[in-house]
Amino acid sequence: MIRIGNASGFYGDRATAWQEMLDGGPLDVLTGDYLAELTMLILAKDRMKDPDTGYAKTFLRQLEGFLGTALDRGTKIVTNAGGLNPAKLREAIEALASRLGLTVKVGHVQGDAVRPDANAYLGAFGIAECLKAGADIVVTGRVTDASLVVGPGIAHFGWQPSDLDALAGATVAGHILECGAQATGGNYAFFTELPDLDHPGFPIAELRQDGSSVITKHPGTGGAVTVDTVTAQLLYEIDTPEYLGPDVTTHFDTIRLAQQGDDRVEVTGVKGSPPPETLKVGTVALGGFRNSMTFVLCGLQIEEKAALVERQLRGRIGSDGLEFRLARTDHPDAGDEQRASALLAVHIKSADPKAAGRAFSQAAVELALSSYPGLTLTSPPGDATPFGVFRAGAVPRGEVRHVAVLPDATTVEVR
Amino acid sequence: MRVPLGTLFGARSGDKGGDANIGVWARSDEAYAWLRETLTEDLLKTLLPEVRDVGRYELPNLRALNFVVRGILGDGVSAGTRFDPQGKALGEWLRSRVVDIPDELLP
Repeated sequence: MIRIGNASGFYGDRATAWQEMLDGGPLDVLTGDYLAELTMLILAKDRMKDPDTGYAKTFLRQLEGFLGTALDRGTKIVTNAGGLNPAKLREAIEALASRLGLTVKVGHVQGDAVRPDANAYLGAFGIAECLKAGADIVVTGRVTDASLVVGPGIAHFGWQPSDLDALAGATVAGHILECGAQATGGNYAFFTELPDLDHPGFPIAELRQDGSSVITKHPGTGGAVTVDTVTAQLLYEIDTPEYLGPDVTTHFDTIRLAQQGDDRVEVTGVKGSPPPETLKVGTVALGGFRNSMTFVLCGLQIEEKAALVERQLRGRIGSDGLEFRLARTDHPDAGDEQRASALLAVHIKSADPKAAGRAFSQAAVELALSSYPGLTLTSPPGDATPFGVFRAGAVPRGEVRHVAVLPDATTVEVR
Repeated sequence: MRVPLGTLFGARSGDKGGDANIGVWARSDEAYAWLRETLTEDLLKTLLPEVRDVGRYELPNLRALNFVVRGILGDGVSAGTRFDPQGKALGEWLRSRVVDIPDELLP
């Protein structure tokens, strides 16, 4: 059995989670997921400004605090915080360790960038190569979230690509862990039933040779691990019951859950079949620039008030890329002003940063003394921000060069 | 009795590009049998009128249904102007909708 924890479900998750997980009890591996579709856009913007960036900078700051503890405990770190630039994150980690006077073996996985704007979702075998070569830390770019858990399983148990049921079982454990506290009571429909959700613990998978696992959390932490909290996370961001991945197709309709004790849920029975011939690819492109202003509409004649603002704004700046969304949060004859008010959000999207910038937000402000009674806005005028459009596609496996760069800098190509 | 769906069932929703998914699960075999029978694609569209194109998948071992709602998030989270651009609260919206649930299933 190998104990694998999670300490991050997204870029921006609890900053102290790594230290909490290391201090809370024994772990063989601690993983952290940083890469949502939105994050790839944020990192792409960073890298446009500075080609040496493009990784999750918060991970490096967190690591400065916990690296010594992780090395002392012998807990391996596996994370996709490398984002669009895993090689640079690796260099930054090596520089950090030398500054702290620590010796650390770092490996990284690359090859997901099939084009400058497109990243393939790699599997877990590159991570496993780095771990087998003795890496203390493995950083990757775009791998499937579950690979952060599957990779340590492959390295520990020696699974082969043909061990489909084991890979599928580990994929399920990975899916349960990848969103952090969402497995332990966070965002849970029946949250009022949980005794203590103030500070939920992060999840742990006790992964076994056959790919089955027990999901748990450190003793004394908040939240809960029950069949229901685990079910909730299994249903998160899934498509058909055939869960396609780069190493295995996992059949979610074969998963069996059983409560094994307090905060212990056993996951068994998972079946795998061969993965598709293609890998999923995420493409991010600059979609344009956007901006929003929100008008507060209070009291009577809400629809008429919204219509007046819409007519006035269209008259001043034209209709290109404008969108009006009225939220009827108002209640009639309300005893407090907030309950008497509706919100009219006005959005603009444009290829031109100026048109979506002050030209738009200032036009909204200029209505202040010239429009409906009681006009007030929720924010001062601001500039436009760039937005991205995410598209999913596919690429034949043969076109992707999945490479593990081991701690001694030798490279291993993963088939 | 007419009660919110969430009295008996849990849900979780999220985004995949321009699509969202809503997983709904029951906490007993009897409740799942009712859910499976009752919460069709058509009923989902009635309860959440914003939903147009939807696929429904059964996960009996988990006593769950998964609905994949295509296109509801437009060009995805970064470009979206929908009130909830990632569809995070679609599941809670669904749980708040009032439906007829047999008395014997209710606590």
